[in-house]
Amino acid sequence: MTDAVVRADGVTKRWGATVALDEATFEIGSGITGLLGANGAGKTTMLGLVLGLYRPEGGAITVLDRDPWTAGPEVRARIGWAPEHDALPPDVPAFDAVRHLAEVHGLPNTEASGRASDALWVVGLGEERFRAVGTMSTGQRQRVKLAQAIAHDPALVLLDEPTNGLDPVQREEMLGLIRHVGHDLGLDVVLSSHLLEEVERTCDSVVILDEGRAVAQGGIAELRAIGGTRAELIVEVDGGDDAVSAVVARLDGVAVDVDGSRLVVELSGDDVYDLVRDAVADTGVALRLLQRRTRSLEDVYLDARG
Amino acid sequence: MTEARIHDAGYRRYTGVRLGPSQAIRSLTRHTAQRVMGLRRPARYKALPFLVVLIAYLPAAVFVGLAAFLPHQLRGQLPKVSDYYGFVTAAIVLFVAFVAPESMCPDRKYRTLSLYLAAPLDRLSYLRAKAQAVVAILALVTVGPPVLMLIGLSLQNAGPKHPSDLAIVVVRILASGTMLAVFYTSISMAVASLTDRRAFAAAFTLILVAGSVTVAGTLVYALGATHSLVVLNLSRVPFEMSQRIFGTYDNDLRGVPTVVIVLGTVGWFALGCAVTWWRYRRLQVTR
Repeated sequence: MTDAVVRADGVTKRWGATVALDEATFEIGSGITGLLGANGAGKTTMLGLVLGLYRPEGGAITVLDRDPWTAGPEVRARIGWAPEHDALPPDVPAFDAVRHLAEVHGLPNTEASGRASDALWVVGLGEERFRAVGTMSTGQRQRVKLAQAIAHDPALVLLDEPTNGLDPVQREEMLGLIRHVGHDLGLDVVLSSHLLEEVERTCDSVVILDEGRAVAQGGIAELRAIGGTRAELIVEVDGGDDAVSAVVARLDGVAVDVDGSRLVVELSGDDVYDLVRDAVADTGVALRLLQRRTRSLEDVYLDARG
Repeated sequence: MTEARIHDAGYRRYTGVRLGPSQAIRSLTRHTAQRVMGLRRPARYKALPFLVVLIAYLPAAVFVGLAAFLPHQLRGQLPKVSDYYGFVTAAIVLFVAFVAPESMCPDRKYRTLSLYLAAPLDRLSYLRAKAQAVVAILALVTVGPPVLMLIGLSLQNAGPKHPSDLAIVVVRILASGTMLAVFYTSISMAVASLTDRRAFAAAFTLILVAGSVTVAGTLVYALGATHSLVVLNLSRVPFEMSQRIFGTYDNDLRGVPTVVIVLGTVGWFALGCAVTWWRYRRLQVTR
């Protein structure tokens, strides 16, 4: 037994001559995990393997401690899946669709009815639950998909590009719902996305796929720490090289790198802000930028892709 | 004064029983049957299925009415139960062209199939649930009307005289009606598996049946080929099979051995199943 919800060990999957997954090895634990990669990196294929819809040509994959290919129905009964595309008939009320899919996941009919209502309230569609799916906005349809994915209380929720087609406000609300599902309701969630920023803001950990290979994995904070945990302060001043040199001269005891008109100051403590402020003020130059920078997931992603 | 309470109706973890694939199949079968009949859908979706069902039952109601109001004048002149399908062949074929496309095409068009296959269903159990639903609905017009006619005639003392004879006719109605439903389920599901458009699937089904009538008719009656080639006729071979189940036959096909009719029926059925499985086995559902 293992704590990993999903464990992939050297998984290879080809579509004709195209290698979708190339000996991908990673583990997905509890919490919200981002499956990050560019379009064509193998994310959707990996989700298909997790669901037991395809058999890997090489390697092994276990989901909830079972082989999803040989124990497909048992594994899928404990998984909630929301695909990237619309998947519900437009003329069916949201409640009917969610209830039916809860039944299809094995819940008794009376339980399915109650839980369909609960799930639709969770995603903010309690008042709208008897409206036909086709009359809803894109954001509401995405919420219905999320509701049907959680209605049967799965052990694992797979969300494929859940913010696709949403405007910024709807996107923010959807990411909030995903955090609610993962952190407050306690369901383990895999969020497949090519949007680095939404993975960084929503997920506890991440698996980065690139051309079918898992090139990085771990907690977001751990990955940021690879290559240095140091926080930096970016300082830009007017006045050219002389002004930069004058400011640097006043920053005694602080590690400073100069990059053109930009100073990269090691942020060893909060007092560094005061030191920089005083140095700039004493020099009498105009301050154009003062910004804290930490290693972002983008840095991790770019490093991992080489 | 009663005490007011606010109950927390929020999301809860589920620790109850999970019924597995059998519940998935039951739910999908029921949901599909309801959808095809337009239940829990706007009224316009109910019109066609209920109209066709009504048409299929109309002759039975008329025959029973005639037996009731003109018992002496029409004694021995009313059609037998085994002849019933001859009055409703068009309605059955029309219903066949409607039911399977309505039950299968939307799942692919709206990609609901991906949600089903991400559940405890697999491709085979999904198709099994769909087939059960289509058979059950087609049985409304292949089993129900002859049963109604038999019950009505029996109540008017115009049916089988002895209980054993009655039991035999009931068994034959169930066998032939189920055979017709299963046969046309196979054919129409095969056609419906080839397109995501309901209207195209319905049209293709009608064209296939009409085409088979034309081809078989041309071969047998215009070119003088053996009458056994009637097995190519999709609107005739299952109904002839039904006649043979009742122990009778169409005079035109008197010389065609029953084994040929059975092989023709089974052959079409197997072909329909093979095409449907071939299509669904190849479908990509998450990409």
